[in-house]
Amino acid sequence: MTGKEWTTVSGVPLKPAYGPEDVPLAYRNPSAPGAVPYLRGAHALGYRSKPWRIFQLSGFGNPEDEAERIRYLLAKGGTGFIMEHDRMTADNLYDVDHPEVVARREDVGISGAVIMSVRDCDLALTGIDQAANYAHAGGGVAQHAPFAMAAYWNVALRRGLKLEQLNGTGQADFFLTYIGCPPLHQIPPAAALKINCDIVEFCDSRLPNWVPISMAGYNGADSGLNAYQELGALFACNIAHLDEVKRRGNVPLEKLATALGGVSFRMAMDFFEDICKIRAARKMWHDILRDRYGITDERATRLRIHIVTAGSAMTYQEPINNVVRGTVMGLSAVLAGVQSMGISAYDEALSVPSEQAHQQSVRAQQILMYETNLTAVTDPLGGSYYVEALTAELEERAYGFMKEIENAGGFISALESGMLHGVASENQMRLEEMMGTGEREIVGVNVHTSDHDPFGIDGFEGSIDAWEKGMSRLEKLRKERDSDAAKRAIADLEAVCTNGGNVMEATMNAVGDDVTVGEIGEVYRNVFGSWKFPVSF
Amino acid sequence: MEVPGEFLMAAKRILMAKTSLDGHWRGINVVSRALRDGGFEVILAGMVTADTIARVAADEDVDLIGLNVGGRVEVVERILDTLEAQGIKTPVFAGGTIPHYAEEKLVKRGVKCFPPGSGLDDIVACARELTGATA
Repeated sequence: MTGKEWTTVSGVPLKPAYGPEDVPLAYRNPSAPGAVPYLRGAHALGYRSKPWRIFQLSGFGNPEDEAERIRYLLAKGGTGFIMEHDRMTADNLYDVDHPEVVARREDVGISGAVIMSVRDCDLALTGIDQAANYAHAGGGVAQHAPFAMAAYWNVALRRGLKLEQLNGTGQADFFLTYIGCPPLHQIPPAAALKINCDIVEFCDSRLPNWVPISMAGYNGADSGLNAYQELGALFACNIAHLDEVKRRGNVPLEKLATALGGVSFRMAMDFFEDICKIRAARKMWHDILRDRYGITDERATRLRIHIVTAGSAMTYQEPINNVVRGTVMGLSAVLAGVQSMGISAYDEALSVPSEQAHQQSVRAQQILMYETNLTAVTDPLGGSYYVEALTAELEERAYGFMKEIENAGGFISALESGMLHGVASENQMRLEEMMGTGEREIVGVNVHTSDHDPFGIDGFEGSIDAWEKGMSRLEKLRKERDSDAAKRAIADLEAVCTNGGNVMEATMNAVGDDVTVGEIGEVYRNVFGSWKFPVSF
Repeated sequence: MEVPGEFLMAAKRILMAKTSLDGHWRGINVVSRALRDGGFEVILAGMVTADTIARVAADEDVDLIGLNVGGRVEVVERILDTLEAQGIKTPVFAGGTIPHYAEEKLVKRGVKCFPPGSGLDDIVACARELTGATA
């Protein structure tokens, strides 16, 4: 075709073919996988030494529904689980009797299970061995993270386990919280940064096998940040955290780097661009830690990567085609050498996954893992002129975007001012307009469309009684718990939040005394206030 | 210079609201921007309840209400009921993850639905039709 400009989806110009002259010097003789700067992989033996973690998000309805689905996924071969708490109650830190929840009560439990207390969390973990499974306890949204983890950890304590026995990860992700999915009421970024540092310090002293927080570039990318902006913004965010924990001086730098070195990215449909993004990410994290922080311990500079395939790539039209999209994105993740993966479900554009769709996501990963021989050789694309050239280009552009964020006053300022939202919004618009002009083609959506899809599906309905049952559990909890202890714990939490003490620790204690997510939210809102989303018309 | 009357008319106003679920804003943002670029005045309300939608629709004298739907159809029906009970006859259109059974119900109540993948041009054209705005 003449006249067409060939670029990556992020706008990086592409040549028809690449040769040795396109590969920058620094990329011509890279070190082996497992050696710094980890461009070619985090581990020398790649998937021969350790397969990637099959790590799917799940949760809907009642806590019992969540437990059933987690057990289902583990039985199918999931090698960890991610708990999704009901978004309306969890993201905003509301109990189910909050007026904002009552006003749209039918939607409670449609995405995530209703977990308001340690007792609810215990129900959501019925039949699940916490000592034997790697877990993401929920708390994607920053203000929800202390409660979500405190609930999971308190369940373990009540079951007679020790915190040191627990393996898993937190999230408290600024990209979900402030860019991708800002709740109605959300504490300001500066307060969330402070609490994230509390989480890092708490885990450092109490949970040696728990990743305290984990930023998800995914949520910036699926909201519009392009590949190199996702990279640049993620590291700018991690730098903000590194600087703050370092300033507080309670955690040694190497341990801090390790704590912050578990991140997640989005794999979308520009196959090679996303592979190169992951390769560049490993190198950048190592280089940033070495150059900005003087960290020489090689183990501490190894980036560990979880990926999620783009939910936004999953179409509403002819949803069965999404099986292919999930597989293609999953394949790119394997070729890039990630440590952990979730493939979004083929019914993503309609609902949370049905059992069948969830099983398919697990099976897609297993087919890639067992049937293709992809696990035999690490970084199989390394040395490709195109892949090395594009990796170098993305790295350079990502540093450029980091610089833009620094010039805007750093990551927190770039959030406060709406700079990042502006960039995302422009990209959202551009991609959408390209759909209209046909510059961007999605099969079944704007090319090769059908008027009627006889194979259409209706999505998963979930449980329709999640709000009513939540109300009963809440009433029962308030009646049965030691109300003096709960009151004291709430007062203690308020005091700690006010005087700058460790909020994670105080939240842990409060949840242990059967304090609810809504009560904790009230304290946070009172002390830290609310953030205003910087997108307006 | 004589200006044709239609150019003197104020832009039609559209209230854009999220009905529920969580804070995802990409869909409503893109549609709101396209409507603004199409000559409409957009009031972006964020996630609001049925009562707030009805109040803003009346106070701001809007010509069209756009709902970003991400949850169960009952929540949208409550909004339609509230508007009806308060005698607000402003037309409503909706977009988002709307399952087929929900779309059927909403279409029966006169709500034009735009599922994921709908073209921005089609949405803007629909807004013009519903408000009587000229291109």
